[in-house]
Amino acid sequence: MKDNYFKQIRLKSFDGSYSSDIFLKKPDKYRDIEKFSKDSQNLITMGSNYSYAPLSFYRESVVLDLKKFNRILNFNNKKKEITVEAGMKIFELLNFTLNYNLWIPQLPGYPYISLGGAVATNAHGKSCGTHGTIRKSIKKILLFHKNHGWLNLSNEENKEIFDLTVGGLGLTGTIVSITFNLKEFNFTEFLIIKNKIYSIEDSVKNLKIQNEENTFIYSWNIADDSKNFGKGYIFKIIPKKNGEKISKIENLKTNNFKIPVCLWNRFTIKILNKIYIKFLDLQKKETNEKFLNVIFPFVGKESYFKLFGPRGFIESQLLVPNNILGDFLGEIKNLCKIHKPLITLFSFKIISGEQTLLRFEGDGVCITFDFINNKENHEFLKEIDQLCIRYNVLPSISKDSRINKNIFDKCYTEAEIFREKLIKFDKNRVYQSEISNRLKI
Amino acid sequence: MNYLIIGASSGLGRELSYTFAKNKNNLIICARDIRDLKALKSDIENKFKIEVNALEVDITSKESIEKNLLKNQELLKEIDGILFPIGMMFENDEVGLDIEKINQLMHANFSSIAFIASSFISYKNKGIIVGFGSVSGYLGRELNPYYAASKRALESYFETIAFQNKKNQINIQFYTLGYLETNLSFGKKIILPKGSVKKLSQIVYKNKNIKFKKYFFPFWWRLIIFVIKIIPFSIILKSSSFLK
Repeated sequence: MKDNYFKQIRLKSFDGSYSSDIFLKKPDKYRDIEKFSKDSQNLITMGSNYSYAPLSFYRESVVLDLKKFNRILNFNNKKKEITVEAGMKIFELLNFTLNYNLWIPQLPGYPYISLGGAVATNAHGKSCGTHGTIRKSIKKILLFHKNHGWLNLSNEENKEIFDLTVGGLGLTGTIVSITFNLKEFNFTEFLIIKNKIYSIEDSVKNLKIQNEENTFIYSWNIADDSKNFGKGYIFKIIPKKNGEKISKIENLKTNNFKIPVCLWNRFTIKILNKIYIKFLDLQKKETNEKFLNVIFPFVGKESYFKLFGPRGFIESQLLVPNNILGDFLGEIKNLCKIHKPLITLFSFKIISGEQTLLRFEGDGVCITFDFINNKENHEFLKEIDQLCIRYNVLPSISKDSRINKNIFDKCYTEAEIFREKLIKFDKNRVYQSEISNRLKI
Repeated sequence: MNYLIIGASSGLGRELSYTFAKNKNNLIICARDIRDLKALKSDIENKFKIEVNALEVDITSKESIEKNLLKNQELLKEIDGILFPIGMMFENDEVGLDIEKINQLMHANFSSIAFIASSFISYKNKGIIVGFGSVSGYLGRELNPYYAASKRALESYFETIAFQNKKNQINIQFYTLGYLETNLSFGKKIILPKGSVKKLSQIVYKNKNIKFKKYFFPFWWRLIIFVIKIIPFSIILKSSSFLK
C-alpha cells in the first residue's frame, strides 16, 4: 500500500459463505476517491456490505467504503427528482423524501442498504410486479473510473456504460451519485389482507389474481411438510392514510452477538413454522401495519440470520417465467420429496421487467428459498441448478454465492455480451470482486 | 447567528457544520475543493433549511485567503464566530522536510489561522473564535515535527488573543485534540480509543458562550499531558523509543 489511509480487516459476506482479508479505505472527499482509486491496481466499491453474496470485496482487494458519501446533492420537489450520493442508506433517503410525500417504490427489504448497492444489484422491492426494479427510477448516475475519470451516465449520455452499471455489480467503477425520479406516496400505513393458501399452486394462482396496481403482494409458505408443501399465507398490502406522519426510521444499532452453532434444524423449523402459522390463523384477516414493518420486514428480526450460526445460510432466488411455472414447481416439489432439504424460508412474489446483461429481471414469479448451509442442501441445490438450465429459470447471482460460471453462462443469456462490453470499456478490468472472479466477468 | 467554518469539508469540520446547522445557524463553509463544499451545502440546506455559503479557499495560500475570503468584507461583518477545525499533515513530515512543505504546514496549521482570526478581531468586538490544536504540540518528537511545531505555535497564539480580548465580548476557545475518528487516524493502531467527532462538535457548540476555554479531547489526554509536563525533558529523551 502506498499510503497510510487504509485499515486491514477481515470481511464476511452477509450469507457467511465467504470471508477474506481486505484493505479498507474510507474516502470522505471527492479527491480521496480519485487518489485512492489511482493508487490501487484492482479495487471495488462497498456500500453497506449487505449483499448476500460477496459483491463488494475479494481476497486482499482494496475496498472503497462510501459511507461518508451520503449527502443530498440536489432536490427538486416540482420535478420530483433527487440527486444523492451513493453511500446514502435507503432509510436516509426516505426520512427526507417522505416529508414531501415522495419515494422510490423499488425498496429492498432492509433500510440500511446503500443506494449505490441497490443500483449495482438492480434491486427489486416488494412491488416489482407493478413497479419493476430500481432501474425504472434511475435518471442519471455519476461514476468514477480509475482510468476514465468522472463520467455522467444516463439514457442520453454514455448509455452503454449506464446500462452496464445498473445491475452491473459495481464492476464498471465507483457509483458516486445517483439521480432518482421520485413517485408520489401520500400514504402513512398499510392495510394487510391475509389469505390462507394450501399449496404452491394455490399460492401462484392467488398471487396472480390479486396482483393489482399500487398493491404489494407476496406469500409465505412452508416447505417442511411434503403433504402440506406450499401451505401458508398470501399477504396483499394496500397503502392507506391515517392522518399521522410516518415516523423517522432510526439508524441501525449494531449488535455483534454471534451464535456459535446453527440453531435451525428439522425440528426447530417445523416448530417455528407451526407457531407462525397458528399465530397468523389467530390474527384478524385484515390488519393495519406501520410503514416500517411492511416495507422493511427484516428490521428487528435480524436474529433470524444469526440463528444460522457461523456457517451462514444460502439464499436461492429464482425468477421463473410464467409459461413454465407449473412444470417447474412440480419438479421442485418432487425434488423436495426426495432430498428433504432444510428450508427456513419459502416465498413467492410477482416480478416484471426485461432481462438483459446481469440483471435479475423479467416477467414471471420470483421464488425465494433460504437454506441451512450443509452438504445435503448443496446437493439439492445442484439439482435446482440443472432445473434452472433446463427451464430457462434465472437464479439471482447477488443472492446465491454458490452459482458457478457454468450455471451463470447457461442461465444468463447475455453474460458474454456483458463481458465483452465491460472489457471494451475497461481493458484492465480494474474493478473486481469475489463474484466477478468466480463468474469470470 | 452566522458562523464561518474553515476546513468544513471533512472530519471534525463537517461534523461541526451539521451541529451548528441543526441548531439553526447560518454557515459560511470553506475548504480547498468546491465539490465537497457544494455537496455539504446542498445537504445542509435541504435538511435544515438554513443558508449556507460555500467558499473555495486554499488555506495554504495567502492570495486565496485574501481573494476568496477576506475581500468579502460584507460577509465577514455578518459573521458571529469562526471555527478552525483544520489540520494539515504530510506522511513524510520529518526533520529535513522541504522548505515549501514546511511553509505549507505552517500556513495551514498556524499562520493562516492567525491571519484570519486577526482580521475577524479587527472587524468585530463581539463573537467567538475556536481553534483546534493537537496533543502532539506538547512535545517535539521524531514523528511529524513541523505539524507539532505549528500546533504549538497555534496554542500560543490563542493564549495571546485570549489575553488581548479579555475585556471585550470575543470568546476565545482552544481545544487540544488527541486522536479522533477521522481519516487522519483511519487504520492507525492506537492503544487509546479515538474520540468521536460528533461528541466533540456537540461540546464545542455547548461551550460557545464561555469567555475562555481550554479543553482536552478525549479528556484523558489532559492527564497524559500533565504527566508529560512534570517529567524533566532529559528523562523523556531517554525514554524516546516509548514516545515514538
